[in-house]
Amino acid sequence: MLECKDLRKHYAGVYALKGVDFCVQPGEVHALCGENGAGKSTLAKILAGVVTPDEGTVFMDGQPIVLGHPTRARRLGIGIVFQELDLFEHLTVAENMMLGNDGPAWVRRGAMDAFCRPYLRKVGLDISPRALLGDIGIAAAQLVAIARSLSMQAKVLLLDEPTSSLTEEAAERLLALVLQLKQAGTGIAYVSHKMKEIFQIADRVTVLRDGELVSNKPAAETSIEETIRLMVGRAVDLSARIESQPRQEVAFSVRGLCSSRLKEVSFSVRRGEVLGIAGLVGSGRSSLGETLFGLHRWDKGEAACGNRKFHPRHPREAIREGFAYLPEDRRSQGLFLHTSVRHNASSAVLNRLSRAGFVMQGEERRIVADELAQTRTKAAADTLPVSALSGGNQQKVLLAKWLLPHPEVLFLDDPTRGVDVGAKADFYGIIEGLASQGKAIVMASSELLELLRCTHRIMVMNNGRVAGILDTASATQEQIMALAAGHQPAASLS
Amino acid sequence: MKSIKLIVQQLAALLAIAGLASCGKSPNSTGESPQHLVIFSQCNNAEPYRAAQNAEMKELWDAHPDVKLVIMDAQQDNSKQISQIETAIRQKPSLLIVAPNERAPLTQVMGEAMAANIPVICLERDIAEPNYTTWIRADNRAIGKMVGDYVVDRLKAKYGDVKGKIVELAGLKGVEAETNRREGANDVWKQYPGIVIATDVVADWLQSKAKDRMTEVLSALPQIDVVYGRNDPMAVGAYLAAKEKNREKEMIFVGIDGLSGESGGLEKVKDGVLAATFIYPLCVDKAVEIGDQILRDPKFVPEKVYTMPSKMVTAANVDQVLQATK
Amino acid sequence: MKLSPPQWLMRFRSVIGLVAICILAVVFSPRAFDGSIIFLDVSNLTDVLRQQAEIGIIALAMTLVIISGGIDLSVGSLLAFSASLTAMLLVKWAPGYSPAAHMAAAVGIAFAASAVLGAVNGGVISRLGIQPFIMTLATMIGIRGLTRWMTDNSNIDFGFGSDTPARFTTIFSDKILVIGLWVAAAVVFYVLLEYTVFGRYIRAVGENERAAGYTGLPIRRVKAAVYTLCGLAAGVAGVLHAARAHQGNPNDGVAYELDAIAAVVIGGTSLAGGKGSILSTVVGTLIMGILTNVLRLRLIDSNGELMIKAVIIVVAVWMQSARKDKA
Repeated sequence: MLECKDLRKHYAGVYALKGVDFCVQPGEVHALCGENGAGKSTLAKILAGVVTPDEGTVFMDGQPIVLGHPTRARRLGIGIVFQELDLFEHLTVAENMMLGNDGPAWVRRGAMDAFCRPYLRKVGLDISPRALLGDIGIAAAQLVAIARSLSMQAKVLLLDEPTSSLTEEAAERLLALVLQLKQAGTGIAYVSHKMKEIFQIADRVTVLRDGELVSNKPAAETSIEETIRLMVGRAVDLSARIESQPRQEVAFSVRGLCSSRLKEVSFSVRRGEVLGIAGLVGSGRSSLGETLFGLHRWDKGEAACGNRKFHPRHPREAIREGFAYLPEDRRSQGLFLHTSVRHNASSAVLNRLSRAGFVMQGEERRIVADELAQTRTKAAADTLPVSALSGGNQQKVLLAKWLLPHPEVLFLDDPTRGVDVGAKADFYGIIEGLASQGKAIVMASSELLELLRCTHRIMVMNNGRVAGILDTASATQEQIMALAAGHQPAASLS
Repeated sequence: MKSIKLIVQQLAALLAIAGLASCGKSPNSTGESPQHLVIFSQCNNAEPYRAAQNAEMKELWDAHPDVKLVIMDAQQDNSKQISQIETAIRQKPSLLIVAPNERAPLTQVMGEAMAANIPVICLERDIAEPNYTTWIRADNRAIGKMVGDYVVDRLKAKYGDVKGKIVELAGLKGVEAETNRREGANDVWKQYPGIVIATDVVADWLQSKAKDRMTEVLSALPQIDVVYGRNDPMAVGAYLAAKEKNREKEMIFVGIDGLSGESGGLEKVKDGVLAATFIYPLCVDKAVEIGDQILRDPKFVPEKVYTMPSKMVTAANVDQVLQATK
Repeated sequence: MKLSPPQWLMRFRSVIGLVAICILAVVFSPRAFDGSIIFLDVSNLTDVLRQQAEIGIIALAMTLVIISGGIDLSVGSLLAFSASLTAMLLVKWAPGYSPAAHMAAAVGIAFAASAVLGAVNGGVISRLGIQPFIMTLATMIGIRGLTRWMTDNSNIDFGFGSDTPARFTTIFSDKILVIGLWVAAAVVFYVLLEYTVFGRYIRAVGENERAAGYTGLPIRRVKAAVYTLCGLAAGVAGVLHAARAHQGNPNDGVAYELDAIAAVVIGGTSLAGGKGSILSTVVGTLIMGILTNVLRLRLIDSNGELMIKAVIIVVAVWMQSARKDKA
């Protein structure tokens, strides 16, 4: 019912879409796949009225329509949930949901709450509509975005990477929700990298590559491998495991750490080891990273980096001691979007790249270029603003930024969120490479498969405390899930 | 491309505004238009005395059709007046008349005008150095003395002896009129130990400020005999403050300027608000007279200073004076 | 990747605005009796530069403050403070130094005192988390009061003889010195912003303070420093102002902060922070100066002047924002 033909769009000389056809039928889940930069998000944004195409037509129920403005799209029953959320942190959940919903002129809290609750329940969120969006965490915020679209009675729902910030459990709930909506007759366009999910729910699979339509097949007639091959143009092996072995020496250890969010956290990481951290929303993974980095105070407990006492009061000190933290949200915490790639990459080591306060521009250029090459970052020029890069490359710039201070210990918080399959593979390779160089890596992630692929051990957190530490080689997804949910599994190592 | 179109649109907007801006006067002279440009740099149009100066200036120069008069208002800002006079110099006018805002700041730039061979008439207020062709003034010190004598007479009449409390309201401190009007009066009062100058508050020649300051003073002083506002608006402002507290009968109000017109000091004397005012000549008539001579006769050398006379106005002669001004 | 034509245009957009205004100025400038274009007269052009120097210097430092995401409303009061302090030190203080030493001491103390007051702004804003608008509004009022109290609410005039104060005015109101000082300040601030670590930090903090925190940048020190610099700049402007006005006047400098901010904004810097450059501020200052000059040369009423300025500011800001979003 929602259809587009021959869409073309370009930004500053880069062609995002080169004549793409796409359509969503009522009661159908149509998956849209492609690497970052393939044009999926652009297509979704055009269909939602956020971006105007240069050429091509969009049809709704056979009638050509002009979607100049998101409101038009909304009125026609097209809802979109963005990958990078467009919600406001300082407003409450209910207020966010009401934005864009035509409602009465007067704000009445009670009516708003009553309106929002059923939709929140539908997406499986058990929070008060009066909670501040900034307080509930990014995963929950994503669910709120979905709830909002539902509240607008969308006939067609465009979901752009909806599960990128969700834990497996929440993702499952979302997929079930999608199926429900499909049965109710809603047409759903599902943009995602997650093959398993796609093949779980999609009826049709469209693959875009470099802005062009590469294939459009019913899901039954294709497979994960074929889809990936079409997306990437090459075969990618997802079943590998980490090969390098950790060394004996302990690089970083924490004992009895207590802070406002964390309770008695203890663990250690050896040089060359990758320690994964699993946990549901609110388990304290990010809190742990931020606290160790010196962003929050901790009152009890000790940490050591190498054999030196480690208790930074400011990230500057942590960096000096050789500890680096890659934050979860690269847009608001990690990168300066309007600043060039080069300046972003060098932002943590400027004091080392300067003499008498002046930046050594030549050295900066050289060092950054080297590191970007090492991380296989694809950018036309490192003087472009980092916002011009795809999500995966942006994440690589972030990684490069934190590799430049030559840390001994790296804490990566969800490093492959919003990153396409090809870039993910690059990341895994880089992480393994760092481990084999002797760095100690702590990697928090929501994707269990990723943790199983990349780590030596997995520490599961629940509610700010360590629920258990498993050996990756022998761990199963069920075990991890159980610990994360607060049950005791059959066998565990601490 | 869209962006180029946008730039063109915006430049067009800019041009349109500039076009509007060009609807200002252009001091070019071609054929029929005036041959002499006279620029008058007024320090502050907002004061009634100065508004009266402007009105008379316009009226008198209108009688000379070959003269184009431009009045600039510096809004009581030294820096603005300096830069306005600089701009005026660039215009190469035939005559520059300046009512300087303050002594020291304006001195240098008027010297620059002189150095550019522009005749400069300094109006009423003076500057630190004689950087002008001629200065037309009134004798503020003499006026101050007249005030002093008048107040002495009134106090004697009230108490039988010369004693009493006086509140003074001052104008801008850096101005010659302010200094001389104060000292002229104070010289007289110094001789009488019974006279107490209770306070001397600054109200910058403005009625509104005077009212505010006087309100504070009234709260501080239980008994006041005389209020000497060094210009009429300030004296009137003080009267209004006193009236609000029902104390206006307790004291007499004396001002200086004596302008005609609805809000002028003369009317206030007639209404009984001011006990007396002292006519402060606008000096404009003399300025136009001398200025015109300068324009007509390149060899004319005016005297360095011209002093204009003043006159006391009380209830006794106010009607007569009003008649004369009509 | 080659930049398509509009993009290099964008980079130098502020200069284009300046060129446009200059052309308009020449076109609309009145002509002297001998037919020469008054606007282009050397004394007129240097007048404009001198008139804008005070605002220009303040605007340079204001650029850094605005890029860092803040604002400083107290610069006008600081200028009056510095001017009055300089006057007091030159006229009322007789330390028995040689004239040169006396002048140097007076000027140096005025600079230092202004920088200290700027540091107060910076310290409170960076440590107590009070919004810059509020804090500098408070210091705007407070410093005005301090200045009036310090001078007993009266002006302090410099003489016209050959004593130290008079010599001070001659030296420090000299066109070449004043313009040269502005140029020197522009160069210093340009180098600071583009080539030093400090400059990078300012941009980072202004664009995304949160990310700056996560990067371990010394946010507090950066903020404190920009306000101190702004205070210093206002102090320098104050000294120049005292020389030109031939007095220390505690009531001067009113609304100068708005002129400085207008210069920064017209040049193209966004008040939201993170973006901006010294070049664009200098251009903005020049545009305002030339505009005022042409309006005055054409003898337009000063009230009309204010209204036209207001329209120009709005149009300039519109031009900057519109260009940014397209492409």
